[in-house]
Amino acid sequence: MTQDIEMKEQQPALSNSLSTTAPSTFQNLKEIAALIEVGAYAREVRRIVRAIRWTIQLRRKLKASVLSAFLNHVLVPGSELQSRLYSHLPKEDEQDMELDTATSATQAPAKHPLPELEVYCCLLVLIFLIDQKRYSEAKACSSASIARLKNLNRRTVDVLASRIYFYYSLSYELTGDLAEIRGNLLALHRTATLRHDELGQETLLNLLLRNYLCYNLYDQAEKLRSKAPRFEAHSNQQFCRYLFYLGKIRTIQLEYTDAKESLLQAARKAPDAALGFRVICNKWAVIVRLLLGEIPERTIFMQKGMEKALRPYFELTNAVRVGDLELFKKVADKFSNTFSSDRTDNLIVRLRHNVIRTGLRNISISYSRISLADVAKKLRLDSPNPIADAESIVAKAIRDGAIDATLDHANGWMVSKETGDIYSTNEPQVAFNSRIAFCLNMHNDAVRALRFPPNSDKEKESAEKRRERQQQEQELAKHIAEDDDDDF
Amino acid sequence: MDPKITEVSQAFERFKAAFVRNDFDKCSELLSQLKVLLTKFKSLPPLFEETPNAIHELTLARDIYEHAVVLSVKIEDLDAFERDFFQLKPYYTDACGRLPQSPQEYLILGLNLLRLLVQNRIAEFHTELELLSAIALENPCIKHAVELEQSFMEGAYNRVLSARKTLPHETYDYFMDLLAKTVRDEIAGCNEKAYDSLSVNDAQQILLFSSDQELVEYIKEHPEWEIKNGFVYFKQARESEPCKEIPSLQLINQTLSYARELERIV
Repeated sequence: MTQDIEMKEQQPALSNSLSTTAPSTFQNLKEIAALIEVGAYAREVRRIVRAIRWTIQLRRKLKASVLSAFLNHVLVPGSELQSRLYSHLPKEDEQDMELDTATSATQAPAKHPLPELEVYCCLLVLIFLIDQKRYSEAKACSSASIARLKNLNRRTVDVLASRIYFYYSLSYELTGDLAEIRGNLLALHRTATLRHDELGQETLLNLLLRNYLCYNLYDQAEKLRSKAPRFEAHSNQQFCRYLFYLGKIRTIQLEYTDAKESLLQAARKAPDAALGFRVICNKWAVIVRLLLGEIPERTIFMQKGMEKALRPYFELTNAVRVGDLELFKKVADKFSNTFSSDRTDNLIVRLRHNVIRTGLRNISISYSRISLADVAKKLRLDSPNPIADAESIVAKAIRDGAIDATLDHANGWMVSKETGDIYSTNEPQVAFNSRIAFCLNMHNDAVRALRFPPNSDKEKESAEKRRERQQQEQELAKHIAEDDDDDF
Repeated sequence: MDPKITEVSQAFERFKAAFVRNDFDKCSELLSQLKVLLTKFKSLPPLFEETPNAIHELTLARDIYEHAVVLSVKIEDLDAFERDFFQLKPYYTDACGRLPQSPQEYLILGLNLLRLLVQNRIAEFHTELELLSAIALENPCIKHAVELEQSFMEGAYNRVLSARKTLPHETYDYFMDLLAKTVRDEIAGCNEKAYDSLSVNDAQQILLFSSDQELVEYIKEHPEWEIKNGFVYFKQARESEPCKEIPSLQLINQTLSYARELERIV
């Protein structure tokens, strides 16, 4: 109990001191180190998670001086780890360093550092290097840290380790060498699975998927994903990433319904701060919906902060909605750079077929009878033999159930059928069923996600009290059964 | 030069000679021998060791596999094609940094795409397509396959069949024949639903048969169609309209699941 009160006191102090100068950042780092120690001794992973959250808040305030002072304070001076980490930090601001070392020398005795603290220091230095854009150094630092992590097998280190894996992959990605670490990531994933380190497994699986998808190796990504062990997600961010990668793979494999579900879920679950991620989820979701034949609403493109990025997709949707092939071609050419940088250009090519379908549907609804030559003209198919083309396209559309019509070859026209009353069919039932199922699933998920405070202080029930309780429960059950019988 | 390499090169020369003569049995025999000889080289995938003759060995192995692929098209063995293509793939992807590009690369990639299309494995078609760079997509062999897929998806089947006349390479012949057959089945399926009836001449034209006789044969395979007075009637295929019955089992299941879930809400 007292520890919890301490934490609460530290939190308001933290928020106050976040706006002041470097020595307070040092203070905060010390507090975080203390928190990690406590968590390590009590084997409570949640404290470590909280420590990481605070670190991320401090990210912008990290400076070389603060870091060197902190390393001095925490690590055994002269150890191999410390000298390695020191070499990454630039030697500036000699005065500040002296000041901080003076204060720390008076306070802390030399101590044997916990492995968690060592790993935490590696993580701090990594974050600092990446923020400073010194990617090759970050690469070296992260590879060394990973080598060190291989020997540690503690649950409390897992949280820190998964962060290090993430930055490891990030540093390689930013220098363009992702393919090199694929073997390492696979080995790490194996180890994490053996140790039942679920958070590590999740993170590494996502990193591997990202690795494969970066090089367009959808086949291999799918093979890995289908064989990797699945479990309840531990971290919301990792789950969002996983859904996004899954959606991408499914889109390429032409399974648009699954893809749409995954992508929309990823966009919904993502935290508000992750704007870039939500933008790209929405881009892919828009394309998948277009490929499925439905037109996304205008409000999707008008979401805060995403308007400019989604502009090309907005114009694309317009072209598909109208069903005009020439407009579609114009938009595709105009924004071809955006589309190729988003890697969606192959998907846009597939959309051509949808544009034709939508155009056909519009024609079929508006005309009860129209000649095929006119159909070809309206669709603006640029081909040497438009009428024959149009005929086969219409025939295929009829077979696929996109339009309800019949063709008359002798006279060369298309006759549309009357659309019946939809409420007399099963359609509303099916739609309602899917919505009800979704709401019920959401309710079940929410109930399962409830967390209760740990019960360590409750006294054990004595045998008497337990008997009493069981008796009461039995009576209650009998009572309910009798009631039910009465109702019957 | 390494005696192993000389041996392989000689065997390969004999293979090429037999190939030109169209002596396919001898070719297959020599090919199996070559494959066994290739296993002695350590620089090939999956080992990729750095031996002094690595580049030479890799180029040689790649040539052999390319010929194997073309051979499998000639003898019309699709499984062999798939196997040989998968063995060839690492040479294009992983070893591409070390070897100069093969002149046959795009041809073989195009053939593979076409094969996937013919076997209706569209998902794999698209996955393969993603792996191709922008330069590859400009190449006529590959462009041909991509445009075919587009026309196939849209339903402009006559374009598919006319593309047959503009083949980039003669090896594409075999696949185009297979494709023609698939297309014909598709067209027949579409016509069933789209037309009430077609005159025999029109049917023959649309299905691209060269004579009435073939049309009659084809119709025999579709018992629901009738020929009357020089017209083909498709109506039979549509007689089986589902009668308006209530799917009671499904409704019961759904309602029960609602009741169960609602009961769980505390």
